[in-house]
Amino acid sequence: MSKRVFHHPQDSASGKKYWRSVGQLSNTPEFRVWLEREFPQGASEFDGGDVSRRNFLQLMGASMALAGLSFAGCRRPEKHLVPFTRGVEWSIPGKALFFASAMPSRSGALPLVVTTHDGRPTKVDGNPLHSLSKGAAGVFAQASILDLYDPDRSRRFLSGGEPSSSAQFEKALDGIIASLGDGSSLALLLEPGDSPTRERLRAEIVAKFPKAMWATYDPIASPAGDIFQSGVQPVPVISAADVIMSLDCDFLGSDVAGDQARQFAARRKPEAQAGMNRLYVVENRFTLTGGMADHRLRVQASRVGAFATAIARQVADSTGDAVLAQMLQGVSIDPVEFPADWVREAAADLIANRGRSLVIAGHRQPVAVQGLVAGINSALGNLGKTLVGKPAQSAPSAGIADVAKAAGEGRLKTLILIGGNPAYDAPSDLGWAKLQKDFREEKGGVVIRLSSQEDETSRLATWHAPLAHYLESWSDARAFDGSYLSVQPMILPLFGGWSEIDVLAKLAGRQKPEGPELVQETFRSTVKPSDFTEAWGKFLHDGFVSKSKSQQTSLSLSPSISGVVSAGLNAVRSTGFEVVVVADSKVLDGRYANNGWLQELPDPVTKVSWDNTAQISPASAKQLGVSNGDMLRVEASGRSLEIPAFITPGHADNSLTVALGYGRDFDGRVGGKGVGFNAYPLLTSSAPYFLVGASVSPSGRKHKLVVTQEHGALEGRGGDILREGTIEQFKAQPDFAKNLGLDAHAEWIEKDGRKTEVVNRSLYSHPPLDDPHQWGMAVDLTACTGCSACMVACQAENNIPIVGKEQVGYGREMHWIRTDRYFASEHDEVADPEMIYQPMLCQHCENAPCETVCPVNATVHSEDGLNVMAYNRCIGTRYCANNCPFKVRRFNFFDYNQRQIEDGGLYKWNLTSPKGTPETIKLQKNPNVTVRMRGVMEKCTFCVQRIQEAKIATKVARRGTGNVKIEADAFTVACAQACPSDAITFGDISNEKSSVSKLRAAERGYRLLEYLNVGARVWYLARIRNPNPRMPDAQKAGSHSRPSHHGGGHETAKPNHSGGNA
Amino acid sequence: MANIFPRGSNFLPLKIAFCLLVLGGATSTGLWYYFTNKYTNVGYQPTQPVPFSHEIHVKQVGMDCRYCHSFVEVAAHSNIPTTQVCMNCHQQIQKDNPKLQAVRDSWTTGQPIQWVQIHKTPDYVYFNHSAHVNRGVSCVSCHGKVNEMAEVYHAKPLSMSWCLDCHRNPEEALRPLNQITNLDWEPKTKEGQSVADAQRELGSKLKADWAINPPDKNCFGCHR
Repeated sequence: MSKRVFHHPQDSASGKKYWRSVGQLSNTPEFRVWLEREFPQGASEFDGGDVSRRNFLQLMGASMALAGLSFAGCRRPEKHLVPFTRGVEWSIPGKALFFASAMPSRSGALPLVVTTHDGRPTKVDGNPLHSLSKGAAGVFAQASILDLYDPDRSRRFLSGGEPSSSAQFEKALDGIIASLGDGSSLALLLEPGDSPTRERLRAEIVAKFPKAMWATYDPIASPAGDIFQSGVQPVPVISAADVIMSLDCDFLGSDVAGDQARQFAARRKPEAQAGMNRLYVVENRFTLTGGMADHRLRVQASRVGAFATAIARQVADSTGDAVLAQMLQGVSIDPVEFPADWVREAAADLIANRGRSLVIAGHRQPVAVQGLVAGINSALGNLGKTLVGKPAQSAPSAGIADVAKAAGEGRLKTLILIGGNPAYDAPSDLGWAKLQKDFREEKGGVVIRLSSQEDETSRLATWHAPLAHYLESWSDARAFDGSYLSVQPMILPLFGGWSEIDVLAKLAGRQKPEGPELVQETFRSTVKPSDFTEAWGKFLHDGFVSKSKSQQTSLSLSPSISGVVSAGLNAVRSTGFEVVVVADSKVLDGRYANNGWLQELPDPVTKVSWDNTAQISPASAKQLGVSNGDMLRVEASGRSLEIPAFITPGHADNSLTVALGYGRDFDGRVGGKGVGFNAYPLLTSSAPYFLVGASVSPSGRKHKLVVTQEHGALEGRGGDILREGTIEQFKAQPDFAKNLGLDAHAEWIEKDGRKTEVVNRSLYSHPPLDDPHQWGMAVDLTACTGCSACMVACQAENNIPIVGKEQVGYGREMHWIRTDRYFASEHDEVADPEMIYQPMLCQHCENAPCETVCPVNATVHSEDGLNVMAYNRCIGTRYCANNCPFKVRRFNFFDYNQRQIEDGGLYKWNLTSPKGTPETIKLQKNPNVTVRMRGVMEKCTFCVQRIQEAKIATKVARRGTGNVKIEADAFTVACAQACPSDAITFGDISNEKSSVSKLRAAERGYRLLEYLNVGARVWYLARIRNPNPRMPDAQKAGSHSRPSHHGGGHETAKPNHSGGNA
Repeated sequence: MANIFPRGSNFLPLKIAFCLLVLGGATSTGLWYYFTNKYTNVGYQPTQPVPFSHEIHVKQVGMDCRYCHSFVEVAAHSNIPTTQVCMNCHQQIQKDNPKLQAVRDSWTTGQPIQWVQIHKTPDYVYFNHSAHVNRGVSCVSCHGKVNEMAEVYHAKPLSMSWCLDCHRNPEEALRPLNQITNLDWEPKTKEGQSVADAQRELGSKLKADWAINPPDKNCFGCHR
C-alpha cells in the first residue's frame, strides 16, 4: 500500500494569495526562517547578553555553593494567616468582588465592571448591564489596570523639583487661591471631559473667579467648527445604515465611539435580519475599518476632500439638493486621479440607498470636508435616520493656544495643569516647553501640575502632585450615549494622589473631599431621587442611572456651513509628499507609553511592537530607495523628524503616516527615553492632521524594528486556514467553506445532506470525552476587525508577562492569543491588497499533535475537551511547540516575571542576584492563575480558571443533587468577553442551548486543518464580504480563489514533501 | 596472552562499591526525607500566638466549625476568624483569662493576630473548600479530628497522591450534607457490617445521586 501523504494546499501560483508580509510574497530567507522554525535559529541560544554559556556555568556553580551554605531552603518557611481584626463588609477572603465604574475616554466614558481580589483591582471588563458595552471593553480599558500599578507612577509631591508632601501642597494651594482675586491671572488647562461633577465645580470656580480662563486640550481632537446647529453633536447610527462610506474615518478602530463596532458587526453577518451592510472606505493608510471594507480606495489624506467633492457633485446632480449645490459652487477641484467608474458606482450605490446610507468623514479632516460630508448626508436624506444628533454635554472652553497667548503676554500668574502633557504634546508652533519655563522663571508665574507621571511638563512646573488613577478616585461621567455613569474607587490612592475633582474642589473654595460627597451632591441635584440612599446605592451598583441616555435630537445644517465648505475645500491642496500624523493604535497620544501590555501589543496593521514608524507605500519606498527600518528624514515647514520607514501594503503613494505618542522623555522603564520617535514636532495648530508639501528623504541610518507579522507563519497555508467568500457565493453554496482545499476530499460525516465533521480516525487511543461539558469556541471572521482587545484581555486575565523589545525580536512574545493579519491579493500585487484578520489561539485539538510528543505527559487532554498544560510536569523540551501546526505555544525562555526585562537584565542574573516583580505589579496578578516560571511551556487554557469557578459555583449551588451541568452561556472566557464586535463566542458545545453550539452548526463554519483530522475545538466562521457587483474592483473583494486540488491525498510519498498523516 | 584488563581495573570493584555506597546513601536519605510524614509535615504543630483549643470549643462547648470558619461553604479559602469573632464571646466569657491577652490586644490596637499556617497546599494547587464541603466531604477527611486537638496539628499528608486516593475513590469519604461538620460521625452499620463497608455502601449511593466525579486524571482540576 502506498504511503498516504497529504500535500498541504499551497497557495496556487495564480489566483488569490494570502500573505503576511512583503517578505513572504518574495519568499525571503528571513521569512523562511520564521516559517520553518517554531522559534528562529538561536532563539534557544544564550547569546543575547554579556554572559556567555561558559561564564554562566561558572556563575551557576558559585551560586550553588553559596546557596548550599544555608539550609533555610530545606524546610518550608513559617507562614502566617492574618485575618482582619474586624470583619469587612462584603469581603470574603479569596473571593472576587465586582464593582461597577467607568473609565473616562475621548469619546465618552466607558461603563465598566472591575474585578477586585481582596481589595486589589485585577481586571477590567465592560459593564454587562449597560447597552453600550454589554460586557465588552476595548484595548485601552483592558490595559488601564496596568497603569494603576505602574511602578513608575509618580509617588511624591514636588515643589520646585524638591520632594514635598500632600499637606504642604494643600497649604501652598490655599495660599495661591487666597491671592487670586477675580481670577484674571488664573488659567486652568485640563483634558476634555464631561463629568457632571466637574462641570458643576467649573461653574462654581467661574462664579468665584469670573475672569479665570478654563481651557481644554486634546492633541488628537477634531478641529472645531459649527457644522450643525449649535450645541448638538452628530452621532452616526451604524446599525441603521445599509451602505456606509467612510472617508478617512476609522470608526471601527481608533475613532470608535460607543458601540459602533458591535453595531457594524451585527449588520455585517450575512445571517443578519436586516441584511448585510456594505462598506466603502477611502483612506490613505490601512486602518481596521479599511480592512473590513468591501471596496477600498487608497487616497492621500489631503485628497479625501477632493474625493468627497467628486461624490458630492454626483449626489448633488442626482438629488438636486440646493444646499449641497451651493457648497460646491466655486469649488475648483478636479478629481481626475480617482477612478471615474469607482466614484460613479459608489455614489450611485449611496443614492440608491437614500435614507439608509451613511457617509462619515474622519474627525480630523478639515471642517470643510466635514461640512461637505454633512451636506452629502443631508442631500441623501440620512439626517435623522443614519445620522442623528445628541446635545453636547460640556460648555465650550478655551483652547491651549489661548492659554499660551495669555501666558506669553504676561496676563497670567497661576497656571493649573491637570492631566495632559503639553510640554510634550502641544502643537509645536506654541513652543510650550519654553513658554512654560519662561513663564515660571522669568515672569514669576506659578505652574501647578497634576500628573500620574513625573513627565516632561512636571519637570517645568512649580508644583507637581501625583494624579490619582480613575480606579482610585470618586467621580462621575457621561457615556457616549449620554448616560450618567458612576466612577468609584476600588482602592485608596496607592501613592497618595489627588484626583482632578479634589483640586477643583479646593479651587471652588471647598475642602478636599474625603469621599463621595461631591459626587453625591451632583447626583442629588441631577437625578433628584425620592429615596437618596436607595437611588445612590443603585447608582453605584449598576454603575449608571437607567434611562439617563441623552435624547436624540434632530440635525440641521448650520446656515454658515456652505460658505465654510466652499472656501475651505479650495484651500486643501496636495502638492507632493504629505505627512499624516495620527494617534498611535497603542499608546494613543503618548499617555499609555509606559504601559507594557500596550507597548508589546503589535500594532494591528503593521504588527510592529515597541516602536512607532512612518508607514509608506511599497511604490514610494522604492522611489526613495528605503526598506523597513531605514530612517527617513521628514521636513515640513521648518520642522524635522527622523523616523524609521515601514512599508505597508495598501498605503497611498506619496503619503507618509506617522504615529504620535512615542519618543517620550521621562523616566519610565517601559516607554521612557529611547522608545520610538517623537512626531509631535510635526503637529502644528494650523495643520493638526496632515502636512502637505513635506520633504522626505532617507537619512542613511537604520533602526531595528521588531515586527511580529512573520512570527507564527503557518507553512504558507494562509489560503487554507483563512476562508472567505462573497455574499453571492455564500447564498449559492452556504457551506462553501467546508469545500475548499483538501477538505473537499476528506471523509465527511453528513447530516441532513450537510457536512458536519470529518470521520475521526486516529492511530492513538484517546481518553473518552465523557464530561457533561464539552468546551468549544466559535470565531466569526466576518465580525473580527483585528482590534486586538482579546490579546490584552487575555494578558490581564492570565498573568502573561511582557518580554521586551529584544525578546520580541527573537520571537519570544508570550501572547496566548494573537490576531494574525493577512493581506490578500492576486498576482503578487503588494500595492493595494485586502486585509483580513484571524484570531489564532490554541485550537484544543481533540487529536492534538502536541500531546503525543510530550515525553513527560505535561500536556494532556481532559474529559471536557481541553488540551491542558501541567506546568509542574513540564521540563521544557519544546517538542510540543515544534509539533503544533498553529504555532500557538509559548515558552518561558527566561523568568520574565521575576527578572528585569529592560537593559539586558534577563541576561545578567545568577542565583544570588536580586529578583522579584515590583510590588505594585504583583497586585495586578490574577490569584487564580499560576504565574509561570522559566523553562515551562504555556498556551491558551480556554481560561480554565473560569471554567473551574463556574463548575464549582454550579456544584455549590446545586448541593445535594446530581444536576451539575452549568447553564448555557453562564460564563465566558476573557477574549470572548472583551471582544467589542462579538466575534468570539465560547461555551459548552454539548449544550444545545448554548450560543456556541448554534454557531458551531453555522453553514459557513469550518475548522482548521480538518483534512488532517486534528479535531479542533475552535470553529471559524468564514468571512463574507458584500461587494457591489457594479464596482470595478468587485471581482477582487472577498472572492476566495480555490486552491487547486493537489491530488486529493492519495499520492505516493515524495521525499521533499512534509507528510501529514503518515 | 596479553592482559585483557588494564592494571587500573584492579580497583574497579572498590570504585563500584564506593559508588554503590554513595548511591545507596543518597537513596536512603532521599527516601527518609521525601517519603516520610516529616516531609509532608504530618505532625507539624507550631506554637500559635493564642493557645486556642479546638477541643474546648468544639468538643466541650459544642460549637460548629462554621461559626468561626464562616465562609468555608462559599469560598475556596476557609477563613480564619477575625478578632471580632473571638470577642463576640470573650467580651463576656473568660474576659480576664491571661491566655487571651493577645486577642484583647488585637481588639484594642486593631493589629491582627498572626496565626501560624499549618495546612498549606503549594501555590500551584487550587484547592477549593466549598467544592468539597458542599459535595459530601467532611472537614475530618483532610484535617483529622480537629475537635479532639487541644492544639491543631497537621494530621494528614496533603500530598498529591493522598489527594488522588480520595479523588479516585470518593465513596470512601462521602457523607450526608448535614454531617459534614460533625467530625465524630460514622455511617450506620447494618447487622454484621463493618464501618468501612457501611461507608462504602452509603458513599457509593451518594456518589451516584450527586453525580460525584472528582477530577482524577485532569490536571486542571487542581492546577491552573
